[in-house]
Amino acid sequence: MSALRHAVRAWPTLLRIGVAEMVAYRAEIFIWFLTATMPLIMMLVWDRVAAGGPVGRFDQPGFARYFVATLVVRQLTSSWLVWEMNEQIRSGSLSPALLKPMHPLVLPAAENIAALPFRAAMLLPLVAVIWLWRPEMRWGVAAADLPLLVVAVFLAWLLNYLTQVCFAALAFWLQQSSGLFMVWFGVWVLLSGYAFPLELMPPALLAAVRWLPFRAMLGVPVEIASGLSSGLGALAAVALQLVWCAAVGLLARAMWRAGVRRYEAYGA
Amino acid sequence: MIKVDGLTKVYRVPKKAPGVWGSIRALVRRAYDEVRAVDEVSFHISPGERVGFLGPNGAGKTTTLKMLSGLLVPTAGAADVAGHKPWARDTAFLRQVTLVMGQKMQLLWDLPPRETFELNRALFDLDRAEYRRTLDDLVALLELGPLLDRPVRNLSLGERMKCELAAALLHRPAVLFLDEPTIGLDVRMQVAVRQFIEEWNEKSGATVLLTSHYMADIAALCPRVIVIASGKLVYDGPLADLVLRHAPDRRVVVATLRPLTAEELAGAAPFTQDDGRLSALVPTAEVKAAVDRALRTFPVRDLTIEEPPLEEVIARLFAREQELEQERKRGVVVAGRAAAGGSGSGNRGSGDGSGDGSGSGNGNGERPSA
Repeated sequence: MSALRHAVRAWPTLLRIGVAEMVAYRAEIFIWFLTATMPLIMMLVWDRVAAGGPVGRFDQPGFARYFVATLVVRQLTSSWLVWEMNEQIRSGSLSPALLKPMHPLVLPAAENIAALPFRAAMLLPLVAVIWLWRPEMRWGVAAADLPLLVVAVFLAWLLNYLTQVCFAALAFWLQQSSGLFMVWFGVWVLLSGYAFPLELMPPALLAAVRWLPFRAMLGVPVEIASGLSSGLGALAAVALQLVWCAAVGLLARAMWRAGVRRYEAYGA
Repeated sequence: MIKVDGLTKVYRVPKKAPGVWGSIRALVRRAYDEVRAVDEVSFHISPGERVGFLGPNGAGKTTTLKMLSGLLVPTAGAADVAGHKPWARDTAFLRQVTLVMGQKMQLLWDLPPRETFELNRALFDLDRAEYRRTLDDLVALLELGPLLDRPVRNLSLGERMKCELAAALLHRPAVLFLDEPTIGLDVRMQVAVRQFIEEWNEKSGATVLLTSHYMADIAALCPRVIVIASGKLVYDGPLADLVLRHAPDRRVVVATLRPLTAEELAGAAPFTQDDGRLSALVPTAEVKAAVDRALRTFPVRDLTIEEPPLEEVIARLFAREQELEQERKRGVVVAGRAAAGGSGSGNRGSGDGSGDGSGSGNGNGERPSA
C-alpha cells in the first residue's frame, strides 16, 4: 500500500518531467505522430469505395467518422515503450532505473501520458480540416456512453502498454525483440479495426476476431466513439477489454520478473 | 556493512565459429561457453570504510559491484549489504545504496540536471526539506551552482560526472558503489571528485567501495584494497602492505657534483650511471646501507629514495597472477609452491619470461585471511 501512496505522491513530478522531455523531443513527437496517420489514407480509400453507394452500414460521412475516431483513439492509446525498453535492455542503460525504489515501468507510463496534450494539439487542426471536407460527419456518441468511452480509451492504452511490456521483456532473452513486435503489429493492423471497420469482415471470421485482444486495443473505443456500438453491447466489449488487461498484465508481470533475473547489465 | 561469502557469477556466452557456415550453425544450434566472471569471492567491509577494488580489465570487478548493488543475480554464494540481500532489490535496500558508473549516466540527457534531481526526489520519495538540505550540501561541495540549469548535453564530461555523483547521493545512501568514477576526467577534475568522495565519506559516514584505473584515486582514498584477478580474490588488506609485498625494492637516486670516472663507476655497483644520474634498485631493508655507502664514496649533491609507482606495483601483481593462472591451467603441480616459497624464483620457471624478474623472494602467501 505504501508503494501505491509513494507512486501517487510521485506522479505529478513524473508527469511534469515527462512534459519537459516532450518539449525537448518535440520534433520526435511530430514524427511519431506522422507514423500514425495511416487512418487518413484508409479514410480516403474507403471514401472512394463508398462513392458508389454505402458499404454495409458505412456511407462516405460514416467512413469519415470511423477513421477520425480511429485517428484520435490511436493517438491517445499508442505507446513506444517497446522501442525504448528494448534498447535499454540491450545496452544496459536500464540499470539506473532498476536501482530506484519505484518500478521501472512507472516512469515510461507517465511519459506516455504526458505526451497526450501534445498529441491532442496536433490532432485538433487535422480533425477540423476533415470536418470541413465532410461536414455531414457528425459526433456519434450518446451522452450516456461517454463515461464508457473514457474507460474504453484508457483500457485500450493500458492493453497496448502491457503488450509492449511483454515484447520488451523478450529482449532479456533475445536482445532484439522489436522485430517480433513488428510481426505482431502487422497482425494488429488487420485485426484491430485500424485498416477497416471489423464489421466489414466475413461474419465467421468476425465471430473469432471479436474475442482476440486486437479489437480491445483499438476497435472497442473506436466503435463506441463512432456510434457503432453502444449500451449493453459496448459494456460487454469493455468488460472483455478488462479481461484482456488482467490476462496480459499477469503475463507481463511474470515475463518482466523472469527477465530481470536474467538481465546482464551490459556495459555497466 | 558488506558481507560477501563465496560469491560466484558464471556467464553463458554464445559461441560461434567464424564464417557463414559458423553463423548458420549458430542459428540452428547454439553452443555456449561458460565464463566464471567472479569465482567464490569472500570479504567483509565495516561501516564507514573506504575500500579500493582493483583488478585488470575483465577481472570481475564490475560484475561484483553489479551483484552487490542488486543489478545481477549471482550464480552461487551469498551477500549481505546493509542487512539486505541485494538482488532481492527491496525498497529498504535501494534507499540505502547507490551505484555510480563512470561510463553510464542516469542524468536525463536533454534536460538540466535539476530535473534529474527532482525526478530522484520523487522516485525516492524524499522529504522536500531534507532533499533541499542535501542538495544544498552537494551543490556547495561539488560547486554545481552554475550547472544546475543547463541541459546535460551541454555539460563537459567532468561536469556531468559531478552532477551524476549528486544525483546518486541525494537519498543519502549508507553504501556507495563507485565504478570508475573518474574515468576520462582531466587531472584537476579527478582531484576534485576524489576530494569530494573523501569529504562525503567523512561527513556522512557512508561505506565506499570503489574501482578505478587511476592508482592515484586508490592511493588517496583507500587505506584498504581488495584485488581480484580472473574472478578470484588474490589480495585483501592494507594498501601499504600490498606495495611492500610486491615492490620490496626502492630506487636510490644520487645526483653527483661531477660525473664519476670509469674507475669510480667500476666499484660503484649496484649503482649505475645514466644521464649523469646514479641510481640503484635495492631491497627496502638495504636502503640505509646503500645510502650510507653513496654518501661516503660519491661526491653527492642530492639524494632521493623513490618508491616504484603504484601502477607498476599493481601491474606486477597482475602479471604474477596471470602466470599463476596459466600454471594452474597447464596443470603444473603447484603443490611444491608453498615449500619452495622463500627460495627465490625457481618456482616461476614455467612463466613465459614476461615478468620483470624483480618479484623473486616474495613468495609469502598472497591471501591473508580476511
